[in-house]
Amino acid sequence: MISDRVKSNLKDTFVDSLLPKVGLVLLIAILVMALFAPLLATHDPTRTGHFHETGAPYPPMGYSYETQVAQDGEFGEVSVESNSTHVLGTNNIGQDVYSRFLYGARVSVIVGLSSTLLAMLIGVPIGLVAGYYGGRVDDGLMRVADTMLAFPALVLALALIGVFGESPVHVPDPIVMAGFADGMPETIPIPGTVTIVGALVIWVWFARVARGEALSLRNEEYVKAAQSFGTGNAQILRQHILPNSLTPIIVLATIQVAVIILLEASLAYLGFSGTTLSWGYEIERGQDVLRTRPWVSIVPGIGIMLAVISVNLLGDWLRDALDPNIDQSKRGA
Amino acid sequence: MSGATIATAGVTSMAGCLGDDDDADDTDDAAVDDTDDTDDADVADPDELDEITVTLSEFPDTIDPLDHITGPYFDIYDHIYEPLFNFDPGEGVFPWIAEEWEETGEGSTEVTLRDDVVFHNGDEMTADDVAWTINRAVDPEKGVASDLGAFGLGSITGAEAHDDTTVEFFYDGAPGLAEFEFGNYARVISVDWAMDYNAEEDAISGDSPEDFNGTGPYQVVEFEPEVEIVVEAFDDYWGDEPPFQRVTFNADGESSGRANALETGEADLTMNILPEDVATIEDADGVEIRNVSSFRTIFCPMKNSVEPYDSQEFRQAINYAVDSQEIIDTVLSGFGEPTSQPVAPDINGFNDGLEPYAQDYDMAESLVEESGYGGVEIELTAPQGRYLNDADVAQTAADMIDQLPNVDCSANIVDFGVVSDANSAGLDDPDHPFYMIGWGTVTGDTDYGVQGFFVPEETRSFADEELTDAIIESQQIEDIDERRQKLQEVNQMAHEKAPWLFLHVEESIYGVNENITWDPRPDETIYLWEMDV
Amino acid sequence: MSIAKFLLRRFLQGIFVIWGVITIMFGLRAVSPGDPASLMAGEGATAEIIEQVRVQEGLDQPLYLQYIEYLQGMMVGDFGFSWQARREVSAIVIGRIPATVELAVAATVVAIAIAIPLGVISGTRRNQPADYSATMFSLLGISTPNFWLGLMLILVFAVWFGIPYPSVGTSSLPLSGVSVPYPSSVGLGMVDLPTGRRDVSFGVAVSALVFEQSLSEMGTWLRHITLPAITLGTYFTALITRLTRSGMIDELGKPYVTSVEAKGLPSVLIRYKHVLRNTLIPIITVLGLQIGTLMGGAVITETVFNWPGLGLRLIDALHDRDWPVMQGIVIFIAIAFIIINIIVDALYASLDPQVSDE
Repeated sequence: MISDRVKSNLKDTFVDSLLPKVGLVLLIAILVMALFAPLLATHDPTRTGHFHETGAPYPPMGYSYETQVAQDGEFGEVSVESNSTHVLGTNNIGQDVYSRFLYGARVSVIVGLSSTLLAMLIGVPIGLVAGYYGGRVDDGLMRVADTMLAFPALVLALALIGVFGESPVHVPDPIVMAGFADGMPETIPIPGTVTIVGALVIWVWFARVARGEALSLRNEEYVKAAQSFGTGNAQILRQHILPNSLTPIIVLATIQVAVIILLEASLAYLGFSGTTLSWGYEIERGQDVLRTRPWVSIVPGIGIMLAVISVNLLGDWLRDALDPNIDQSKRGA
Repeated sequence: MSGATIATAGVTSMAGCLGDDDDADDTDDAAVDDTDDTDDADVADPDELDEITVTLSEFPDTIDPLDHITGPYFDIYDHIYEPLFNFDPGEGVFPWIAEEWEETGEGSTEVTLRDDVVFHNGDEMTADDVAWTINRAVDPEKGVASDLGAFGLGSITGAEAHDDTTVEFFYDGAPGLAEFEFGNYARVISVDWAMDYNAEEDAISGDSPEDFNGTGPYQVVEFEPEVEIVVEAFDDYWGDEPPFQRVTFNADGESSGRANALETGEADLTMNILPEDVATIEDADGVEIRNVSSFRTIFCPMKNSVEPYDSQEFRQAINYAVDSQEIIDTVLSGFGEPTSQPVAPDINGFNDGLEPYAQDYDMAESLVEESGYGGVEIELTAPQGRYLNDADVAQTAADMIDQLPNVDCSANIVDFGVVSDANSAGLDDPDHPFYMIGWGTVTGDTDYGVQGFFVPEETRSFADEELTDAIIESQQIEDIDERRQKLQEVNQMAHEKAPWLFLHVEESIYGVNENITWDPRPDETIYLWEMDV
Repeated sequence: MSIAKFLLRRFLQGIFVIWGVITIMFGLRAVSPGDPASLMAGEGATAEIIEQVRVQEGLDQPLYLQYIEYLQGMMVGDFGFSWQARREVSAIVIGRIPATVELAVAATVVAIAIAIPLGVISGTRRNQPADYSATMFSLLGISTPNFWLGLMLILVFAVWFGIPYPSVGTSSLPLSGVSVPYPSSVGLGMVDLPTGRRDVSFGVAVSALVFEQSLSEMGTWLRHITLPAITLGTYFTALITRLTRSGMIDELGKPYVTSVEAKGLPSVLIRYKHVLRNTLIPIITVLGLQIGTLMGGAVITETVFNWPGLGLRLIDALHDRDWPVMQGIVIFIAIAFIIINIIVDALYASLDPQVSDE
């Protein structure tokens, strides 16, 4: 339920400053990359073997490099030229870096959105109920929240993965299925455990915010009025409390998408995401060859950074315009 | 049951445990300050190279010399708890602490020991110590459930001391196999000392230098768990004085880290250098790459208890789909050699009449159709950081298979433990039926390379009566030439039945201070006493 | 409510949360899809070892008895036994604490040293170039994954020392996760500029400095910790810069500033003494809350730089599937986090007595 005042507030702050515009442009770019990856990609991101004739990966366009290869046990120095079909070069196993960059956006966006959504679905109802009813229920929730928050997010995620393992979910690609992008993978692996673990790590933030809102809203006149008409609690929660709590929840959700993107990248970097088509994994892959083939790590890192910046900028904008009360310090980690 | 049981034996030596490093190297005698490696990073004068640092890929997580069968651990502990025999890969077993030995009957060998061997704590070594150590290793009820006993000494059933210098080994396999096993894996611990550690009930543990007590040329002087072990030459050693006075062993799980330690002078010898880091070391002053084709082959078993791997045509198709030479040329920067059979060249029983499966997509495609599994989806499970560029090799191989029009294949990169468990779980376990693993046939004999994978019913990953029978038959053959011929037949059979996707022979790549004279061994072992300055 | 009462309440709350943390970890073990005994025994354990673990760890007992025993053990600091490392988990944890504390403290020092001046400049010169750069910097700092930042720092150092990208491969410059020597072209010879690892602990460095008047250990320590500390500290630098900036802006707008300015006090003094002091109070709280992020970041930073602290050990334990070590480190980190927060609250309460009234 977004009021006109809020709308004009949003518009004013957007027009006035540059940063939200940058954020929006970046976000659109990333969403386009993610959505249309099969159409924008030049190669199947999982196809290996795109190597220079010396057997070494291609550098990005416009660059060349020298490296050593062994032939019959003898080392020889070779010079490797770029190839115009591989704009950003190829990685250790001859996969196209540009195409993997696009698909990396896809994985990040899917995990970021679905994990945040899941966290909202868990956290918001619990928080609303606790705040609305108060008392024991509320105390219990707050203690659970405190306990969950005693674990650093990454550490808790690692502990959960340590117990449940890591497994990818193969998600079919509608664009390829519909025949618009021949030669692209028909399914892409999404780190399923990471998505769930991410939600389990951040749901408590949603619960806290929702509780706070419910706590203050339950004393509002219109809630009291509804109660006096004998409206059921479930209905009050659904019709009055939830819609009026949405603003801060949306702000929080925006910021949490960035948290999840970073979490997914970190877990993939550490080797705990169960998939290899991920910006984080690609950075890890490039670490071994940082000296000779730095582009393997540089490119996906820029992807993560841009995605997180765009979300953060929009988050800042929404926060400033909608709800100055969400403290920077409470954004989770 | 005969022969080495299975799995973790040869597989465990290429590892990726991260560790700390220290730089107690190339300091001159007066320098107490061992941290100042800034100015003398260029290699020290050879005359002064009596203190070196060896940086391994994995630091031991146990101090009990029987409680593991992991390559890098031996690289440290063999200098403290030396082997009883001198094992020369491909050549055989030679005297060391054991001066001579002789078969005494059906399943027993009598070994005569040196009489001048003492432990680091001053106790004299006797045949009792040897017999006790062997029994502790092979008896699962005694001490730890020893990996060394279960896998390395698989056919040895026990030992008995006759007098101070004579001990008899008992075994239930062929004498040749038993000799390979005790020649490789027999070690000695002092009984009296070990009793203080309750060693008949538990693993030896502790965190001080006194918690080590072997007969080797080096004794421990400093020990920091998970970080480093420092050893110094043992004054009362029975044999030749070792080449270095003081040696620091530490570990770094990253190849780039090891390469860098070598270059900055923090390490003088390091192992498992990735092809990507070879150039760095080759270009640097004072250090160089030494590489040797190892006894380890890298391959992907296909459990024939699981569809579609029960079809020989399908398994052959997988082999035809993958171009291992291409993988070597690209992902491994040219290090390695394609394989056509379970074991590496130079292994007794290697069949040099066999050619690696050459990549042939048409053939592969029609074989898949013949097998009736067209359109199947499969997954290759592979470890990361265990073998040279293992995850990259697996992803490439999987993608080559995926390029078959009638097979979908993806790679699943996991921790080595998952692969190791899949390997030892046997045919009953349907998870991960197609996985990548490496096996070092360290005995230099085909039997050790095939036995565990094809014979023991509970742990084998491929069941084929003909192949199993041929291996068992070879174990009973006394005549050396006749046995070799039989083993070549086994390799031929394995080639045709394609129980594995054959990939390549792994190259052992070391980075070494060029003042150290040393030729790396094909069995991946590092012995300081084989070095010189 | 008095400060003492407030602290007592915080303390009791802390105890409760610690109990919760321990209970969650126990719960995770209980709900793990596999057999708890094989989870405890770890990777590659034989059936015999698993049985031994089951009996010795009491896993064959009813769940509530296991739980009581678990709590009892934790209460006396017994974090269990690692069947893989064959050592007490507490010994493993204790051995790794100093490295992590050094890194965390160094990162915090770096962050505070850079961020507060930056925030002050940014906040007092609003909408000037300095402010824009500081804002950009903090935006980038908050958005950059620190493992990537670590790698890029290593890479940039190479570029810094005259190696043009991307022909890095042609140089003899050894550039990898651990140390970056200067290329000889800079004329420094093979000077070791390690970017990670911890050859000398801070304690050793200090004692060498005090007792032997030797600077070289301290130098070694500093050279090793610099890049990891920057890597870990960047997020905080960015965060504190933001907070200081907005805090300064708020404070500068308050009436008392104008009134002291009217008294003729020099503006520098006002800025640093009065305004900054009032700004710092909320920053301390945020720092306390963000210790969790710091610890999460340490896990990654330690992995990038091979820094032998708790985080690196945690990752090793996960790869080895060494549950006892993993849970020991996780519980330890959580408890440390809780204790630090209580201390921060105490600090906060003593700085600003109003807090305890809330």
